[in-house]
Amino acid sequence: MAKKKEKEQVLVRYGSSRRERQAFLANMMSPDGKPEVLDGVVVLDLSYANFSGIIAASLFAEFGAEVIKIEPPEGDPSRKITPYGANVKGVGIPFLMEARNKRYMTLDVRTEKGRRDFEKLAAKANVLIETYPAGQMDSWGIGYRQLSKNNPGLVYIAITPYGQYTDRAKEFRNLPDSDITSQAASGLAANIGDPDTSPEPYNWPFRAGAWLGWYISGLEAALGGAMALLYKETTGEGQMIDVATADAYASLVGYPVLIGYTWEKARPRLGRHDFTLYPYGFWKSKDGVVAIAAPRDHDFRALLKILKLWKIEDDWRFTFDRITDMLDQIEVLYGLIEAETVKYTSDELVRKALEYSIKAARSKWRGGGVPIVMKVQKPSETMQNPHWEIRKSFQKFDDKKLGKFIIPANFIKMSESPPRVKWISCDIGKDNDYIRKKYLAG
Amino acid sequence: MEDYFSYTNKLFDPSKIKEKPEVFKGIKVLDFSHVIYGPVAARLLAQYGAEVFKIELPFVGDLWRFGVYWGKFWKHSSICFHFVQYNKYFLSVNLKLPKAKELIYKLAEQADVVVENFAAGTAEAWEMGYSQLSKINPKIIYLSCATYGQYGPLRFFPGWDLLAQAASGNLSLTGYPETDKYYKLPDYLGDYLPGNVGALSLVMALYHRKKTGKGQYIDLAQSEALMRILPNFTYFSITNEELERVGNTDPTMAPSGIFKSRDGKFVALAVATEEQFKALSSAMGQKKLATEYKDGFDRLKPQNARELYRIAQDWVSKKDSAEIVDLAKEHGFPVAEVMDDLQIANDEWRRQRGSVVAFKDDMYRELVLPGPSAMLSKTPGRTKWLARPLGYHNRYILKTLFGLSEEEIKNLEKERVIGYWDDRPGIKPPVYYDMEQDTVFNYQGNGKEKSHG
Repeated sequence: MAKKKEKEQVLVRYGSSRRERQAFLANMMSPDGKPEVLDGVVVLDLSYANFSGIIAASLFAEFGAEVIKIEPPEGDPSRKITPYGANVKGVGIPFLMEARNKRYMTLDVRTEKGRRDFEKLAAKANVLIETYPAGQMDSWGIGYRQLSKNNPGLVYIAITPYGQYTDRAKEFRNLPDSDITSQAASGLAANIGDPDTSPEPYNWPFRAGAWLGWYISGLEAALGGAMALLYKETTGEGQMIDVATADAYASLVGYPVLIGYTWEKARPRLGRHDFTLYPYGFWKSKDGVVAIAAPRDHDFRALLKILKLWKIEDDWRFTFDRITDMLDQIEVLYGLIEAETVKYTSDELVRKALEYSIKAARSKWRGGGVPIVMKVQKPSETMQNPHWEIRKSFQKFDDKKLGKFIIPANFIKMSESPPRVKWISCDIGKDNDYIRKKYLAG
Repeated sequence: MEDYFSYTNKLFDPSKIKEKPEVFKGIKVLDFSHVIYGPVAARLLAQYGAEVFKIELPFVGDLWRFGVYWGKFWKHSSICFHFVQYNKYFLSVNLKLPKAKELIYKLAEQADVVVENFAAGTAEAWEMGYSQLSKINPKIIYLSCATYGQYGPLRFFPGWDLLAQAASGNLSLTGYPETDKYYKLPDYLGDYLPGNVGALSLVMALYHRKKTGKGQYIDLAQSEALMRILPNFTYFSITNEELERVGNTDPTMAPSGIFKSRDGKFVALAVATEEQFKALSSAMGQKKLATEYKDGFDRLKPQNARELYRIAQDWVSKKDSAEIVDLAKEHGFPVAEVMDDLQIANDEWRRQRGSVVAFKDDMYRELVLPGPSAMLSKTPGRTKWLARPLGYHNRYILKTLFGLSEEEIKNLEKERVIGYWDDRPGIKPPVYYDMEQDTVFNYQGNGKEKSHG
């Protein structure tokens, strides 16, 4: 009897299927009525044709800052950067998705009058984000060294392809930024694509299918900015932050630098294989594609059991039998696994792996392995998963002007001061009066 | 007035980093995390000055100590592990034992931040969860990293970066549309990116605590962080069409792609705005091209984008990559040569900038590793020491933090509450290194040690 009770207690702590525990957590993380971290922080977003800046500004806005997007009267060209030209009343999809909790002001810093107004705004701001060529703002008299005189607490974030210092930064200062060039220059593209033996153009360096250059740069800018705000809270001192998008990927994951140094050569492209782990990739199923990860030896053994492939265990037993440096050899294993995975539907494979893991975890000996299978989901399939509905990961909007749409939101759940999306709006100059009254009057 | 670049060269001078202050000075982090996703969040705090105590099981250690490329260890360690674990203190205790738990609870009393990335509920089962530690230290900030988060029907589903990529939709986006092949995002990006989001949430929580004095619980789902970067959901909700694999081009820019130049190099080229399109047209000597399209949206229509892709590909194939880069600088449109690992590791610009740092370590000697992603002029991030063998800081921490005596520590060793490495690479020190002489490992607290960090 006591044992049964003990078992129940463990289940409760594990966050069992009991509704109360789930509801408790969901309630704990709900943003309703909670304070915002950056309440009262004013962020000026001057980014121009560069989503890194827009994304950094969005992150500040989601955490509660008053973000003012400053554009010339014709609008930021970022509004027109959108897949296949798809737009809602002249606003592109990425711009719409990032138009979170922002205010919009038209102000042309290219003109003398615009710059005078801007100086006044910047004197009251906490954070400034800009993506103009390095030295451009400075030559206009509104760079970090001028603005910080009036406002020593200012956190000034500059995002460009090659940064604000070094000879290269000076030489390449007029080169505009884009996501694909950031991916190429920072080592991402070189590590995607088929091996040398494949026909052209499949063996070329390849672009990752999401804006990773820009999202990494934007995230790092926001992270640096948040740290600078924290430092300012203690000392009152602001600082300048320099993000180079040509360095985004290499600095984030580290591998290009570490491998380049220790191997003294570049990695070849491996197509669908991984360098460190195997099996760690995707296989065809009866009705689609599944991702399978079972790299540790006991995971691999479990996978073989699930797929009824135990007969090959002897040949591939150890991690060192499954190193991907001999591509022909690893393709053999790939084929052996694929011959089995195509016999089942994706859902069947997912369920089999999960059932095995649960059984292994309950066994006295543990160590039974955790083979993991997940369906490779298209974005529209991801959206339908009830898990994300319960976690409110997607937010629906029905706007009078913009119509109905969905954005991915609530991506960080915090119990005291969670980020949130309060509104989406993108009209050029929408808040001119509000901002002039609040910050420029007198 | 001083030239802008000579001003900024001084402002960001990498040789001055050591003299500058650190943001997280005095912040203590209790780090239960393993592999990449959790450790990176803790490492980012360590990079900017926090004291991070990494807890590992004796004789077992973090799985990623053995995460090596093609089975190659570097000085009996993993370079990947060094990158996600530098600047941390390595404490190896057996959490199964009550005495070890007591130690960690004492550490939790002093800690500001806790990071863990076990499967949902595991930390609670080990009695190290938020519900337990927040009772000891109500001001604590506790970050739980899981692939699917702490609640919802998928919460117990185990995950790696790959599975998060699959579940978030990312895995279905890279590749040629007409093939049956998908490429995953390489190098465990699905761990690193959410890990950095985790660090952002921690900085925000620290900021909130500074203002209000309140700690909090953070539930970070790897998949959600990866979903946040995709416009594909919004695109689908508006157009009712799936935005899938598009090949070697960016559908948001036309022309755009990675092309092969005359001299056999790979060049990425993109046009994001009308201004850049005019610049490219005149660089190509086809100025009338700029007048052929109504506006940016028109240029991006699939058939027009395809045509422009063809024109750009043709143009690049007839020029050397250096010529193209020069034209891009002169006219103003985005271009970059594809850089591979070797080029990046040896890139003069990155070395000058401090994005690639030749670091000298007391134990592992020279390792070239990446610097911070964002350069902060007043409180820059820095590397102070690389990862250490399992349990390397046991003595140092037990003496400096808990004031234990040599005898008490020896008893803990005997009872296997704390432990060290065995002979496996990954957890042991490099062969040439003499542990006997190491004053941190054999910490005596008599003031003769060289300062650590």
